[in-house]
Amino acid sequence: MTLTVTPDTYNFVAFDTAYTARIAEHMATQLGLDDIDILIAINENSALTRIDIDVTDSLITIAPHSGAMEDTRRPRQQSELNTTITMARGMLRARDRLRGGFADAPADTELSLPQAAVWDTYIMGRIAHMDIELNKQAWIYNFRNRHGFSDAVDAVFEQVWNTANATWAELSALSANTLSVTA
Amino acid sequence: MKKFMPVEELARDERFNQITQADRMADGRVALLADSEKSRRSNRLTPARPDASEAARALMHGIFVGEIQALEGAGRTCWDFTTGEEAPFELKLDMARQAWDEARHVEISLKLSDWMGSEIGQYAENTVLFQAACSNDPVLRLAGVNRALEGLAIDVFTTMKEFGELAGDPYLEFCEDWMFADEVTHVKMGSDWLRKITENDPERRKKALEFQGIVDKMFSYGGSRSDSEESSFAIARRFRELAGFTEDENDHIADLGMQALNERKAQLREKQAAASN
Repeated sequence: MTLTVTPDTYNFVAFDTAYTARIAEHMATQLGLDDIDILIAINENSALTRIDIDVTDSLITIAPHSGAMEDTRRPRQQSELNTTITMARGMLRARDRLRGGFADAPADTELSLPQAAVWDTYIMGRIAHMDIELNKQAWIYNFRNRHGFSDAVDAVFEQVWNTANATWAELSALSANTLSVTA
Repeated sequence: MKKFMPVEELARDERFNQITQADRMADGRVALLADSEKSRRSNRLTPARPDASEAARALMHGIFVGEIQALEGAGRTCWDFTTGEEAPFELKLDMARQAWDEARHVEISLKLSDWMGSEIGQYAENTVLFQAACSNDPVLRLAGVNRALEGLAIDVFTTMKEFGELAGDPYLEFCEDWMFADEVTHVKMGSDWLRKITENDPERRKKALEFQGIVDKMFSYGGSRSDSEESSFAIARRFRELAGFTEDENDHIADLGMQALNERKAQLREKQAAASN
C-alpha cells in the first residue's frame, strides 16, 4: 500500500504535506485501509469545505478542498482536528463504497441533499464513536435542514448516528421514509 | 475613561481570534462555485446549497461578532462625544436604546449559534465593523454604523430569515425576524439624525454620504452582497426603503456591490494565475 499526498508545497495555505500524510496513514490503518493505495490530492485553490472522492478497486482518491482542513479561527492555517476528520470522512466514504454495502449508491454528485445528509450522519456518527472530537449538534442541524425540524426526524438522526453497520439500501430507505413522514 | 478607542483595544477573551479586512482580502483562494457549476447553482445562501448548514453557521457567527461590534459602536457614540455640543442628548438616547437592542441580539445570536452547532470563537472575527465606528465625527459614525453597518444587517437578516423559512427552521426564522425589525429602526435613526444634524451643512452631509459609500463597499466583502446570483446575499431593497433608503441609494449600493464582486474576481484570477506560474 502507498499513500501519497499532493501538492508538496502550497501557495495559498500554510499546510504541511508530511504532517497530513502522517495523519492520513494513521487513519488508514485504523480503518483497515492499509491494503490499498491512497492518493490525497488537496485542492488548495478552493476555500470550500468539500471533499471529493473517487474509488477504484486499486486506488482511493480523496480530494479535499482546503477549507475542509483549515483552522476556521486562523484562516489558511492547517487544523489537526479538521485534517483528521476530513481524512476519516473521506476514507469511511470510500470504504463504504468498496466494502460496506454501498456499491449501489449513486455517484457523490448524483446524491440528493437528504441522501448526502443521511450518509454523512452515518459517517460522522462512526467518527464520533472513534472518540474524535466533533460537534454533534452541527450534524443534527444538517440532518434537520435536509429532513425537517421535528422530534421524529431527531429520532431517526439518533438511530443513524449510533449505527455501526448499515447498507446504502437501509440508509436511503430511512431517509426517504423520514421525508415522506415530514412532508 | 478613554475616548475614541482604537479597534486593537476591543476587549475579547482567548476564545476569539481577530482578523482585519486586509487579512481577509489577502486570501487568494476561490470561495465561489466553479464556472462549470454555475449553470445549476447560485452562490446565494439558501438551503439548496450543498454546504448550506456550514455556510449558515459561519454567517451566524459573523452576525454574532457583528452584533458585539455594533453594541460597542453604539455604546462608544454615547461616550465619545460631548452632550449638546458634539451630539444632541436625544441622539445619545437613541444610541443607548440601540446598545440595549444589540446586547439582546448578541444573546439571541449566541443561542442560535448553539442551535446550529457552533461555538464562540469557532470562526475568526473580522473587525471591519467596529472600524467603521471609529470616526471622530458623530455624523460620519451615524453614516458608517447606522446606515452602512445596519443596512448590511438588513440584507443579512433577510437572507437568514428566508433561509430559516425555506428550511422549515422555526427558531431561525422567528429570531431573525425579530432582530431584523430592530435593524430597520436603527437604520431609520441613522437616516433621520443624518438629515437633521446636517440640515444646514450640505458639505458635512456630502462628506458623511461619501464615507457611507466607502463603508458600504467595504461591507460588500469582496462581492458577498450584490444583485448578482454570484453573491451570497442580495440587497433587501424593500426593507431598506422602509428604513429610509431611497431607490437611488439602493441602486448605488447595488453598483458598489457589483464593483466589489468584479474587483475581487479580478484579484483572485491574478493571484491564481501567479500561483500557477
